[in-house]
Amino acid sequence: MARWLARRLLHAVLTVAIAITLAFFLMRLAPGDPLSRLGDERPMPASELAGLRARYGLDQPLLAQYTTFVAAAVGGDFGRSIHYGRPVREIILDRLPASLLLGGGALLLTMLGGALLGALQALRRDSLLDRTAGVVSLAAYATPSFWLGLVLAWLVGIEWRLLPVGGFRDPLLAADASWMLQVADVLRHLALPLLTLTIVSIGAVMRYQRTAMLEALAQPFVAAARARGLSERRIRWRHALRTSLFPIVTLLGLWLPVLAAGSVFVESVFAWPGLGSLAAEAVGTRDYPLLMGVTLLVAVLVVLGGLLADIAYAALDPRVRPA
Amino acid sequence: MLRTTLAISLLFGLVACDASAQRRLPGTLVIVSGEYATLPVPTLMEGPASTTENTHVADLLFLRLAVEGPGRSTLDESGYEPQLARSWSRRDSLTLVFELDPRARWHDGRNVTAEDVVFTFQRAMNPVIAPSLAELLQGIDAVRSEGQRRVVISFKRPYPEQFFDATHYVQPLPAHLLRALDPDSIAISDFAQAPVGNGAFRWSRAVPGQLLEFTANPAFFLGRPGIGRIVIRVATDASARLNLLLSGEADALRAPVPPLSNRDQLEARGFRLVTIPSSSVGYLLFNTHARGDSARPHPILADVRVRRALVLALDRDAMLRSMLGPYAKVPYGPIPTSLWLSELAPKAADRDSMQAAQLLDAAGWRDSNGDGIRDRNGAPLALTVEVPGTSMLRRRLTEIAMAQHRELGIDLSMTVSDRGVWMERLNGGNFDVIFGSLSQEPTPSAFPQTWSCEGSGNASGWCEPVVDSLMTAARRATGDATPVWLAAMRALEESAPAAFLYAPYDVVALHRRFENVSLRPGSPWMMAWRWRVRRGAEIARDRVPR
Repeated sequence: MARWLARRLLHAVLTVAIAITLAFFLMRLAPGDPLSRLGDERPMPASELAGLRARYGLDQPLLAQYTTFVAAAVGGDFGRSIHYGRPVREIILDRLPASLLLGGGALLLTMLGGALLGALQALRRDSLLDRTAGVVSLAAYATPSFWLGLVLAWLVGIEWRLLPVGGFRDPLLAADASWMLQVADVLRHLALPLLTLTIVSIGAVMRYQRTAMLEALAQPFVAAARARGLSERRIRWRHALRTSLFPIVTLLGLWLPVLAAGSVFVESVFAWPGLGSLAAEAVGTRDYPLLMGVTLLVAVLVVLGGLLADIAYAALDPRVRPA
Repeated sequence: MLRTTLAISLLFGLVACDASAQRRLPGTLVIVSGEYATLPVPTLMEGPASTTENTHVADLLFLRLAVEGPGRSTLDESGYEPQLARSWSRRDSLTLVFELDPRARWHDGRNVTAEDVVFTFQRAMNPVIAPSLAELLQGIDAVRSEGQRRVVISFKRPYPEQFFDATHYVQPLPAHLLRALDPDSIAISDFAQAPVGNGAFRWSRAVPGQLLEFTANPAFFLGRPGIGRIVIRVATDASARLNLLLSGEADALRAPVPPLSNRDQLEARGFRLVTIPSSSVGYLLFNTHARGDSARPHPILADVRVRRALVLALDRDAMLRSMLGPYAKVPYGPIPTSLWLSELAPKAADRDSMQAAQLLDAAGWRDSNGDGIRDRNGAPLALTVEVPGTSMLRRRLTEIAMAQHRELGIDLSMTVSDRGVWMERLNGGNFDVIFGSLSQEPTPSAFPQTWSCEGSGNASGWCEPVVDSLMTAARRATGDATPVWLAAMRALEESAPAAFLYAPYDVVALHRRFENVSLRPGSPWMMAWRWRVRRGAEIARDRVPR
């Protein structure tokens, strides 16, 4: 097991290194650079442009830029954002809590809710509940998140004025407000983006879970359990559900990056200050250092997600456990 | 005695209650913006920091020596209002003297001194520190102090906009806080994270990427601000910005493109839409050099007759009516609506298909093969317009232009590209026609930057010596330069370096509870300290904690 884990970790590090290297060079090979986008729509004097290139190290050969980046990144320094003028690490750390909250909340609700509803659908196969939930989950899955976000914002935030439509916190909340008030405020702001992200994601989990649960219920071990006289409740919710969760574990691993990267559209529609909108902004402004910082974080999370899924899979299913 | 005491107490109580009821709440103005002000510090707003948002925030924090009256000519010194300088005078045609207001204070309580002004001008005129600013201040020879309160600015030569140059571009910085710092490190200093200014509002807090908060400076020497605090919230998405207004979470928004379709919703929710002149101009720029080769002339556009025909073939009034309604006008040359020259300029030429056809015929472009497209020596009259993908307005206007040009046998096509790619094509002269938009300084003296043979922002290679000499004459005129500027614009229009399509107005959506509102073109929030919340119209957030 230890050797398997070490090998997987080595693979993970190599994957991240390859992803980062590709991102670095592809970004720079793409037409347009951060400095050509600056200021007004008039050509920048050559001397001014040269000064800016030197300041951001863009006048160096590509390979030298790469080695500089790698050497600094290994030490946790991703440079200074061209657009924000602040260290990339600081900017990412500023945005991370909002992303974790939205992504983590959505992941939790999607996985728990999706698994539960999908299992119920399987248990009530072909019932009105199953058919209705099937249509609704498909519709939710097919709904564009930005459209749903706008509809919810309009209805709940603008027409009914029940919840705020933008931001992470009320900017006017007193600095000395009690922690309970502050938590409630964040939750109020979280509600609409979380609901949007959950609605558009839960459909897929429900459909996976329904299929997996139906397969599990048809397994011989279920018939054997019934023959042994176990209660139907125990068979369904303990044995069949546990077996049916394998695909969900895989999904969980794949969706881990959502935790950090969030949803670009949902973050934009609700002015949610997460990493998704930050990444979109960095792409728009070709802010190389910021883009590399976010890319590295997402690459690490993708690889980590896969690794964790493998470990969880091995823990749940002895058949795939390494010798 | 007791009865008398009670009566007096009651009277005082009633008066106190009445005074309390009459006391105006300080008020909160929540502005929603599409961009975060990353570095709102004068002399540092260069390169990546040369953004509109930085300028707007710097205008809240930092005063100028004097500020030009709205809509007033930059040639007219009498139109300026005092800010840090309480008075000024001329020693001779090359020297201006400013007397600083002794009441002016930095937000840390120190006096604003002549040394602060000199220190900032030295930074602004240093091409290593502030290359763009230094270029704009080329007319200034030296800035020095005479005592604590007097600033003397000397110019290299007499010219009409000396006063504008002395006051517009430079907002003094506190020398006592910055002198000890390495000039290169100011941008990453604590000062840049929380600037200490001298304006009506002081920096209160920042949540990077999300919001900035400013509180009123009760000791502001020009008068106590009528608004207690200003919060600038950031929402990069246009729908999110509008939603924040409609949900009542924000009070003001400046929209470069008018939210025409949302006008009724905004008005129904207590907002008014105020139109203010904009410094932008949108145009189809014609490349007079061959694509990507500045050594050869463009095979089609080097000919002034073709360029003029391209302009005359367009019904610009109809284009604007359909796309921007009343929120734009066809500019005369590159004159934006915010420039004082705009009111004096003649009306731009209307569509004249007949003359356009004659010009093309004269230039040898005729439809020889009957395919509907003019040609010459076997080459079709075909041009491509480069449009940045970020602008839907420009895409739509180009589509209309394509249809109108086709009626005259001109095959105009469109390439939409990412802004970075688009900018690379502009910088490298790798285009036939490019749909550009420029923000113009509030002075015609900035025209030569783009519209002169040697202009640093001249991307098309267009060169008309007559225009150059007229603009030079206007900048150096000792009398009234207005007629000379108009003559320069007339010569520029005749040479048609571009088809100037729209000079828009900005639209500010503002909540109706604010009164005494004045919005300045180019800097709508600059005078927000004079605004106040109407009595009886206050809402919860207007109770600002003191």
